Formats: sequence, C-alpha cells, structure tokens
Amino acid sequence: MTSDQTDAAKRDDFVEQAMQYADQLYGAAMRMTRNPADAADLVQDTLLKAYSAYGSYKQGTNLRAWLYRIQTNTYINTYRKQQRRPFEAPLDDLEDWQVGDAESFTASSSRSAEAEAIHRMPSGIVKDSLQQVPEDFRMAVYWVDVEGLSYAETAEVMESPVGTVMSRLHRGRKLLRGLLADYAREQGIGLEDTTVKEKKP
Amino acid sequence: MSETLEAKKDCTEARAALEEFLHNELCAEDAADVRAHLETCEECSAEHHVGEMLTAALQGACRDRAPEELRAKLLATLRAARDQHV
Repeated sequence: MTSDQTDAAKRDDFVEQAMQYADQLYGAAMRMTRNPADAADLVQDTLLKAYSAYGSYKQGTNLRAWLYRIQTNTYINTYRKQQRRPFEAPLDDLEDWQVGDAESFTASSSRSAEAEAIHRMPSGIVKDSLQQVPEDFRMAVYWVDVEGLSYAETAEVMESPVGTVMSRLHRGRKLLRGLLADYAREQGIGLEDTTVKEKKP
Repeated sequence: MSETLEAKKDCTEARAALEEFLHNELCAEDAADVRAHLETCEECSAEHHVGEMLTAALQGACRDRAPEELRAKLLATLRAARDQHV
C-alpha cells in the first residue's frame, strides 16, 4: 500500500537524518553524563525515543533542537536519577556575588593577557573546566557556544524561558572564565596577577 | 553630562549587550551601536576579545566524535526498530 510505503520511506529517512547528528548528540551526551559509557547509552536511548516519536516531529522545523530536547528529557528522567549524585540545588537564583564576577579578577590592562591565555589553553583543560560548571549553566554554554543554537532554540531545548537561558549562559561563561584564569595563574601562563602571593617553583 | 560620564554610560550599555552581540542575538541597530562603541573603546574591545577567545576555545575543545563502535550500534538498533515496523 502506498501509505505503508510512505511510512517506510519516512522511517528510512529518519534513520539517515538522525545518524547525521550522531557526533553532536554524543558531544552533548558527554557534557551531560561526563563519561563515555553513559554518553553512548544516552545517545542510543535518545535515538530510539526519537524514532518512536518521529510522528510528532513537524517536518521543516529544527530536527537538531528536537533531538536535543528528547535527549535532555531522557537524561533528566533516567541517567540523572541513576547517577545518584548529591542533590544539586537549583542555581538560577544564585546572586551574582555568589557566582563571582569574572571581570573583577581581571584588571582591564591584563584583558589582552587573559585572551591570550585562553587562546593558548590546552583543549583538555577547557573541556575539564567546562565539566566542573554546574549542569544547567554548562549545557547552556554548550548549546550556544559550541553548537551555535540561538537563544530561542536553546530555550526550547531546555524548556525554559529565554531570560533563564541568558542568565545560565552568562553565569556559565563567567564561572568557566574564572576556572581558566585560575589554571593560567597556577601554571604561570600569561596572566600577571599582583594578588598572587606565592609563585610555584 | 560630562564627557567621562557619557563615556562610562556607553561602556555600561555596551558591556551589558556584549554577550548577545557575541552570539548574534542583537537586532541590526543595536549590533551597529555596540560595534561602533567597540571601535572607539579599547577596554570594551579587549573584553569582547576575551569573549571571542572563550567561544573559540570551547568550540575547539568540545568537538567530540561518536566512536565508530557506537555508530555501528546505533545504525543496527535503528534498523532493527524500523524492521519491526514492517
């Protein structure tokens, strides 16, 4: 029957399209689960859920954002519970002073040194530092800065208002910048900081 | 308003919009204002450059590739799911 053929074609089409996002889904899964085994399982569960929900996907809308939303929900509903991590309090209500002001630790004259230090930062350190940022902030940074989603798309993925996304993104970047500056100072690369009392040998 | 106060106000406004500017989220008019300010203000321009470097570092660090083994498994799983439908 023609309708069956159409369905079959649609399902083939989904497999092909979804596989194009395997790397990106895996990247996001690594940021969420922070280990390769759970990340692989999460991608597989996400694609199976997406496959069975494909009927509800509106053709022509952003497939990547749709997949990320399913992945986010799958992660929250299964993996996050399984990981049994200590309860992480919602962080959106943190005051700015609790997050720390990235601009305050950098004297304006040393901003170019900070940019240079970030530019020369080993990839592994950037990755590890991002993994230390609390989850919601980390994912906002990942989707906007790495994946290039718009604020509106990120809001859709996180099922949160755009304002919340902007605040998470801002705080996530701020925290990350602080972590990278700490690392640069410890290594004595780039950042001259008169507040450092001891220099490592 | 004195010249320095005026300049400070410009910087405050530009700083507040810098992240949206970086992520291409500003309307053309606001983006043009920020761009014009950055051309004249060394401090804000340096701050913007830090933001750009941070984004570039993240993009360079987080481009994971799905392992081949996972790709094969995904393809097999999806095909199995599809075949169950037929």
